[in-house]
Amino acid sequence: MKDKLDALLREGTARIEAAQSEAELQEVKGELLGKQGSITELLKEIPKLDISLRPEMGKAVNNVKVLLTEQIEGRREALKLKASEISPDFDCTVPGFEPKIGGLHPITQMCYDLNDAFRSMGFEIFSGPEITSEYYAFDNLNFPPNHPARESMDTYWLEGHDSGEANDKLCLRPHLTGDSVRYMLTHKPPYRFVYPGRVYRNETTDARHERAFFQYEALIVDKDFTYTAGKVMIKSILSKVFGPDVPVRMRAGFFPFVEPGFEIDMGCLVCGGKGCSVCKHVGWIEIMPGGTPHPNVLRAAGLDPDEYTGFYVNIGLDRLVMMRYGVDDVRLFHSTDLRFLKQFH
Amino acid sequence: MKLSLNWIKDYVKLPDDMDLSRLAYDLTMSTVEVEGVENLAERFDKIIVGEIKEVLPHPNADKLRVCRVDIGAGEIKDIVCGGSNLEAGMKVVVARPGAMVRWHGEGEPVEIKNAKLRGVESFGMICASVEVGLADLFPAAEEHEIMDVTSLGIAAGTPVAEALELDDILLEIDNKSMTNRPDLWGHYGIARELAALYDLELVEFDKYTPDVTDTVDVRIADTERCPRYIGAKIEGLCVKPSPFKMQSRIWRVGMRPINALVDITNYVMLATGQPTHVFDSNHIIDHIEVRRANDGEKLQLLNDKELALSTDDLVIADAEGAVALAGVMGGAKDSVLPETESVILEVANFESRGVRRTALRYDNRTESSSRYEKAVDPERCDQGLSLAMKLFAELYPEMKVTAFNDQYVNKLERKEIDVEFDWLDRRLGKRIPQEIVAKKLGTMGYDVTFTDVGMHIVVPTWRSTGDVSIKADIMEEVARMYGYENFEATTITTSFDGAINQLEVDLVRKIKEYLAFRCNMQEIFTYPWMTEEFVTALMPDTNGILALATPPAPTEKYIRCSLLPNICKAIVKNERNFDEFDIFEEAQVFLDSDYTNEYKGEKLPAQKKHLGCAFVGSSDNIQELFRRAKGVIGSMPRFTHMEGFTFEKNEKPYWADETVWLNIMLNGKKIGDLALLSKKSALACGIKVLSAILVELDMDALAPFKSRTNRFVHTPEFPINEYDISFLVDSAVKWDEIYACVMNKKNELIRDLLFVDEYKGKQIPAGKKSITLRLLIGSDEKTLTGAEIEAVANSALKKLNKNIGADIRTV
Repeated sequence: MKDKLDALLREGTARIEAAQSEAELQEVKGELLGKQGSITELLKEIPKLDISLRPEMGKAVNNVKVLLTEQIEGRREALKLKASEISPDFDCTVPGFEPKIGGLHPITQMCYDLNDAFRSMGFEIFSGPEITSEYYAFDNLNFPPNHPARESMDTYWLEGHDSGEANDKLCLRPHLTGDSVRYMLTHKPPYRFVYPGRVYRNETTDARHERAFFQYEALIVDKDFTYTAGKVMIKSILSKVFGPDVPVRMRAGFFPFVEPGFEIDMGCLVCGGKGCSVCKHVGWIEIMPGGTPHPNVLRAAGLDPDEYTGFYVNIGLDRLVMMRYGVDDVRLFHSTDLRFLKQFH
Repeated sequence: MKLSLNWIKDYVKLPDDMDLSRLAYDLTMSTVEVEGVENLAERFDKIIVGEIKEVLPHPNADKLRVCRVDIGAGEIKDIVCGGSNLEAGMKVVVARPGAMVRWHGEGEPVEIKNAKLRGVESFGMICASVEVGLADLFPAAEEHEIMDVTSLGIAAGTPVAEALELDDILLEIDNKSMTNRPDLWGHYGIARELAALYDLELVEFDKYTPDVTDTVDVRIADTERCPRYIGAKIEGLCVKPSPFKMQSRIWRVGMRPINALVDITNYVMLATGQPTHVFDSNHIIDHIEVRRANDGEKLQLLNDKELALSTDDLVIADAEGAVALAGVMGGAKDSVLPETESVILEVANFESRGVRRTALRYDNRTESSSRYEKAVDPERCDQGLSLAMKLFAELYPEMKVTAFNDQYVNKLERKEIDVEFDWLDRRLGKRIPQEIVAKKLGTMGYDVTFTDVGMHIVVPTWRSTGDVSIKADIMEEVARMYGYENFEATTITTSFDGAINQLEVDLVRKIKEYLAFRCNMQEIFTYPWMTEEFVTALMPDTNGILALATPPAPTEKYIRCSLLPNICKAIVKNERNFDEFDIFEEAQVFLDSDYTNEYKGEKLPAQKKHLGCAFVGSSDNIQELFRRAKGVIGSMPRFTHMEGFTFEKNEKPYWADETVWLNIMLNGKKIGDLALLSKKSALACGIKVLSAILVELDMDALAPFKSRTNRFVHTPEFPINEYDISFLVDSAVKWDEIYACVMNKKNELIRDLLFVDEYKGKQIPAGKKSITLRLLIGSDEKTLTGAEIEAVANSALKKLNKNIGADIRTV
């Protein structure tokens, strides 16, 4: 009987320790200490023993009973602290619920990133009408009278408004620069503003050419502003969008609105300037034209170009967004395809 | 445009140790974008001249031969070849193992390896000209003819690149980067830039002086379009190939050698940028006249195109009619012919815009027209003439100029510009020594004289056709030649006079972010032109819609007066992939009305900023779709901080369902619509399965608050109780009536009334519907008892029963 009792204690202790929930523990308790429990059964056998053995065995069984009871209570407290009613089979690898969320067009996102960057430098945001007269599209912007862009090849003229004087001819704006004149005519210098928006060109489309695209222009006009300060501005903006250490260079370029004009290149982010297929192995990517506003543009805005000068950049947002995400077909931006648009969170 | 560095070196002596990548970089930074630098010799690596010693039959193939070839230094190799013209003693081009060739001139280059051909070991390959990319210089008479270089007298073993003087560097220039620089469209122009960049000497052309008294009868009828025309009659010529060196140069930069007479004209153009032309002088009847074409006048071009000309075209004509399209292309009948022995050489200047119009009109842009349309200066004729005469004399030692005429009727004025040093320093942000400025400008052809305050500058003719005209241009010349990278960045200073505060601009962004991020909608971009079927589907007619004169497609001529047609097109597109989606677009719309003087001198049609939305989902539960849309639009003012608008039924949109529509009203004015797209319109759009609630809103009419206006309310001190009630009511009774019934003169303990559910179905009698609403009941003074709450609810129920006939159900 002594052996039986020892075995019972060992077994009981093990089962108590193994119990993983209060319910399980309760079950073990019943089996050990309940009315038909193993201990109770043993106690029942004591009267059958030789009388001399009874006190000792009775004491021993009771000791075990107290011991097990203590263990059970101890285990119960431990389980309470640990208390998880959840099955250990619970699968934590099941995916979470996707937050249901819409999104802004990737070009809008880029535009807002730039707005934030320019706002932080004290620029206002301006937008003008998309239908403009030839006067604001070309004449007052220093497009020479024989500039190819004036021919209907490149501009969407409106039916019934495609002949006559420059003020009568109307088109979908082929660029934004006319808006800068509109702004300057209605505000007082010095100027510091951006004017993002859609522009339209009558072109054949392919993966790199679109008829409708989104541009972003910025203009500073002040007294004695040097183009080298423009470089600081560009670097600040690009580092806001692409990270702090973007190398920037300015090289010779020609645009009718500016003199001198620059092509502004950014160090290729894909190869870090070593040369790769993205940057045509030169380590630089042409990112925007810019320069000092042409005196004729300033004159159109009623300013004396000997007194005022400034800096101008024109950022093609489509291209910039393509670079940001590796988009390889510009036409996707106007595709309205939600499978495409939903990728830009 | 491709440039040969060897050719450039004819005009400027570049140092022998010139670092090519540096040169490409400097040109890119200061002048034009160099897109590529190619070492031409690398194309011909391991390709050499060999001499066939013996031609043996191939043991296993009838069409193949085994040639024993001397590949230099007496080394003889067996090469298997299928050429049709193999002969002992012939000098051929051998591609050694490791060379890259194009099989039959097609596909990507592949590497040559030692191989067994039909059981016979072959060392490399004897090449046809097309296989080493030299077909233009060594045209094959038939497909199997291999390239024969015997006549060039080159020793076996000589690398082909060296033998054919192909040891050259080619620069690929981005044409777009020099559209404003007519002077750069030839090797001489780039040489001039390099001379200025590196302070080197530039070779000058000798001036040609005619030694003849007879004149070519040249008559310029339109001096605007043709400021200058030089005609020179040259005799003692014949049609023959030009020397290899000339052919090779022309070929290297991307043109095809034709014959000596044509090659001279092309060479002159590639060298100086001055296009020239030759006519067979026997075909020019009586005189040369430069005039406008007669309407419908016929001309067959050199490329055999038959044109019926317009009066805007300028032609070169003789007494009988047009012989060439001025500045674009010569005529087929009167240019160089196989029997030509004497020519009239044309070196002329044509006005840029006219040349461009003509070239575009006939879709016939040429090397010549693309140069003229950049505005070549008339003085360049002198360089072109000088070089042409030199080449004629070289290639035809017996030639004689027998008549000459230089009609320079419309002389180009050189631009003159005064630049103050003070101004230059301020704009550059740096003082560049005056002698450096003067030297750089001098090398580029500017005549500089110093004045008290600065410089008086006379611009060279080749920059005076529109390129350089103001002092900012001079500043650019100085800065780029000094090197943009040599200017230190300067800080931007500013004066602060208040934070930027643009409420309207911010409102647009708030609305878009509200829709995207709070309402789970996706922004889309569409084109401003609409597809006609969608216009027809959504609009009663096309009155008041603006159209494009040259639309992207015939069915896309109308530009948007509403965002909805393009949004419907987007629905059709996405219906294929999604069962439920909400989209929006913010863009300008245009109306052929309300023309106003927007800005100085300009009259523009009405243009408004609109917001368009589509809530798209299953047709099974229109009420849910409707509530989704109404919830988003209805809550918009609250979340975006603008004046609230209301929904009213005043004017059903044309495209809307008969019943499910609302107008969006602000201060008594309609500013938009929210409605279910009618079945009829949806079908016309091609929306097959889903239903859509469309919204369009005039964003210009919205009024942002100057600051936030909502006020803080204390959290309730005592519980607010929810009490749900269901009742039956006539199906026609509207929620607005139910709401008003409870909330007008309400018990003050009723805090709010919410719509929970509307149900029509089997258990509900016909003509009735079941409404469940929720009363929020609470007091500011105490916790209400169950009996008190019940009493409030019952009073509301009684009102409902009495006023709108609510039949209270016991649920």
